[in-house]
Amino acid sequence: MLSRSRKLLTLLPATATALFAVAAFASPASAFSLNPDAASPGIEKVNTFHWITFILIVIAIVAVNLAILRATKRHHRHADAGNSGKGGQLRVGLGLGVVAVALFVTATVFSSQAREVPVGSSQVAGLNDDGRLEIQATGQQWLWRYDYPNATFTYHRLVVPVDTTVALDLVSADVIHGWNVPSLTGKAQAVPGKTNRVYFRADEEGVYSGRASLLSGQGYDSMEAQVDVVSVSEYEAFLEQLKTDIQTAQDSVVKTQEAELEAAAEETPQGEVEPTP
Amino acid sequence: MSSYPTTMPPTRPEIAGGESQDSPGWSRLATSPDHKVISLILISAAFGSAFLAAFELVIVRLQLAVPENVFLNAVTFDRLLSVYGTTAIFLFALPLCIGLLYYVTPLQIGSRGTALPRLGQTGLWMFIIGGFLLYATFLFTPPEAGINPFPPLSQEVFTPNNGVDAWIAATGMITLGLLLLSIDLLVTVRNLRAPGMAWRRAPIFVWSAAIVAWQMVVIVPIFLAALTMLMIDRQLGGSFFTGGAGGAPLLWQHLSFIFFTGAYMGVAVTMLGAISEVVQTFTRRPLPGRETVIGSLAAIATIGTLAWTQNMITAPLGSGWKYYAMVMSISLIVPFGLIFYNLISAVSSSDFQMRAPLRFAMGALSLASIGLAVEVSQSTIAVGSQLQQTYDAWAATHFTLIGFALFGGFAAISYWYPKMTGRMLDEQRAKISFWVMFAGSLIALVPLFGAGVEDQVTDSYRFFADEDVAGFNLVATLGTVVLFIGILLAIGNLIRSREAGAAATPDPWRGESLEWLALSPPEQHNFDVLPDVRSAQPMRDIRESLVRREAGQETPAGESQPVA
Repeated sequence: MLSRSRKLLTLLPATATALFAVAAFASPASAFSLNPDAASPGIEKVNTFHWITFILIVIAIVAVNLAILRATKRHHRHADAGNSGKGGQLRVGLGLGVVAVALFVTATVFSSQAREVPVGSSQVAGLNDDGRLEIQATGQQWLWRYDYPNATFTYHRLVVPVDTTVALDLVSADVIHGWNVPSLTGKAQAVPGKTNRVYFRADEEGVYSGRASLLSGQGYDSMEAQVDVVSVSEYEAFLEQLKTDIQTAQDSVVKTQEAELEAAAEETPQGEVEPTP
Repeated sequence: MSSYPTTMPPTRPEIAGGESQDSPGWSRLATSPDHKVISLILISAAFGSAFLAAFELVIVRLQLAVPENVFLNAVTFDRLLSVYGTTAIFLFALPLCIGLLYYVTPLQIGSRGTALPRLGQTGLWMFIIGGFLLYATFLFTPPEAGINPFPPLSQEVFTPNNGVDAWIAATGMITLGLLLLSIDLLVTVRNLRAPGMAWRRAPIFVWSAAIVAWQMVVIVPIFLAALTMLMIDRQLGGSFFTGGAGGAPLLWQHLSFIFFTGAYMGVAVTMLGAISEVVQTFTRRPLPGRETVIGSLAAIATIGTLAWTQNMITAPLGSGWKYYAMVMSISLIVPFGLIFYNLISAVSSSDFQMRAPLRFAMGALSLASIGLAVEVSQSTIAVGSQLQQTYDAWAATHFTLIGFALFGGFAAISYWYPKMTGRMLDEQRAKISFWVMFAGSLIALVPLFGAGVEDQVTDSYRFFADEDVAGFNLVATLGTVVLFIGILLAIGNLIRSREAGAAATPDPWRGESLEWLALSPPEQHNFDVLPDVRSAQPMRDIRESLVRREAGQETPAGESQPVA
């Protein structure tokens, strides 16, 4: 039978053990880096601020729990009458207030910096007047459609050039979807009837992805956003190819329809065919 | 007798008259307007719901134990998750808070009952009907649009079955019932305080009652309005929340989050009030910073509710809204910090007795501190846009709610258990259940912070092996099972001690507020004679006065009087 104080002391090791279990289960690289793949200037700021709050949180939690542990130990009883009066309350309140103001100022600085994504250096065709590439992402159950400036589109996979600031307009065709690519933009809702604009500038080529983050129905688990960052020339070639492919596909659809119409026209007398829209 | 200044309030027939003693027990329970009977039914329902919610959470976690699990399909998972969340908030946390306030407050203010007993009774029955309605959906189709069913997903086009309609009706009945109880509570604490009990002498828990009741009066009608709009959209072809067509899907988020954030803060205010009472009693002295604590409770309720947009950081809102949410959430550090400081330093500087209520109270503060700290960081725009809607946010919310509602709830119930039942709670079993629950909570929730940082999103019925979160989820599932066992042990102890516990005296803890003047359990009319309240510790005055009387001394004027 453990004594009470020793039992209470298990509180701290329990917390510590659980934290270390967490660290051990994650891969060593990611356990101590909160967002290792940050690839856009804004997200790097977010990452730095995340570290600051992480350290503050750990200090706050450890301090409160140590105080609880110390308070519930029977020994070292001491009357801190000086601290519990009006002056003590004021000191603690002011101290907390200073922490709150400092945290708010820091959070504001980092949040506004995270919103600023400077224009990239690349000269891709189709940039808008601000030097940004405007792409519309439409969420629908349960995939994303991307409309590029040259009137082409892709599903599932967004292809963007490296070093180019992308202005991504999130809209929805049905329910609210959670856009989520943590390395580039963080999370943002695509709400029907509204446009939610997020900016990012991928500094390195690669594939970035994330799972949709808002329950959108039965296929929600399979809804994924994937961003392929490629070189400028690859991007332009991809769009050109895409345009040709879409044109070919549309031509073949038109041809098939015309053939069907002609076949129908041969079977029925002239003048009775309904014009197909 | 005539030398004691006592007061008899006017009798009210429904309280003083009592029901016919011939009617069977269940019918007396069902028809009694007595606040103690109503509260005990509410509290029992809340602990029954705690069992149900924990059971549903275990099933949900079993599905998420391993990657790409096929134990449940997507629809079953969504339904269980929606019912779990609704049970935890609407059938456990809120009715437990209102039930505790509704039982204890009239006793603490020295009242013979509540001001509007039939209103309270109506509220109880609306709550019960709402609860049954929610669980009756298991016979047809449970709600499946999430814990907070965002339109347009919850509209008829996308969720055509009747689950969401049942959810609207159930939560509407429950919140309306709790609103009626809150109105009764508010009128009672304002009008029926014993003579001499000015607000400055009212116990902290009475202040909690006034604050939470006001809060419910503000937030519940907003929620009911949102529910009505959603019902019109679903049943009558409305377009309040339709995307395009003049509708505003974000309006639902505003209205529902005002309610959910307010309810969250209401739970915190109630339980911090109860924990303050526990700490005062077991440290044998009033809190030195009593005024600070009361002011902080009011600040938490007000600022916390006004911080509702902290849940909408990812929504397409003007950035002003988001900075506003950040100011509000971060400034909550001050009142929460002051309360934690006062409670912990009161224990630290006293010769306390470590009994079940104090143990649960300290556990509540420990767990809630983790949840609240993480919540503050997630209310900032930078971190929130990364971690909201991941298991990081889920774990933070659960730390706070398990801390306050579950541990705070057990602190309160084990403190007032002798008063409610006339029996003492088994101390040894309470201790075991505390440690099992405490270990279970940590093992169930700490790994989820890791899963959240790895960007595992909530509400999805499965996760994939390439997300690198399998270890976190497996440990969290094991922890949830431990937590479930702990809750079973604690509830089992509550049931068992009703028969097996030692008989309780009216004042087993030597408390300082008036509920300890009544018998355990109190008679139907609570008090035969009411004392004149002359300080914030009326029971201490009465005890001192009794000692003096036994010593044959005169009672000095200006002190609370003993009652025969």
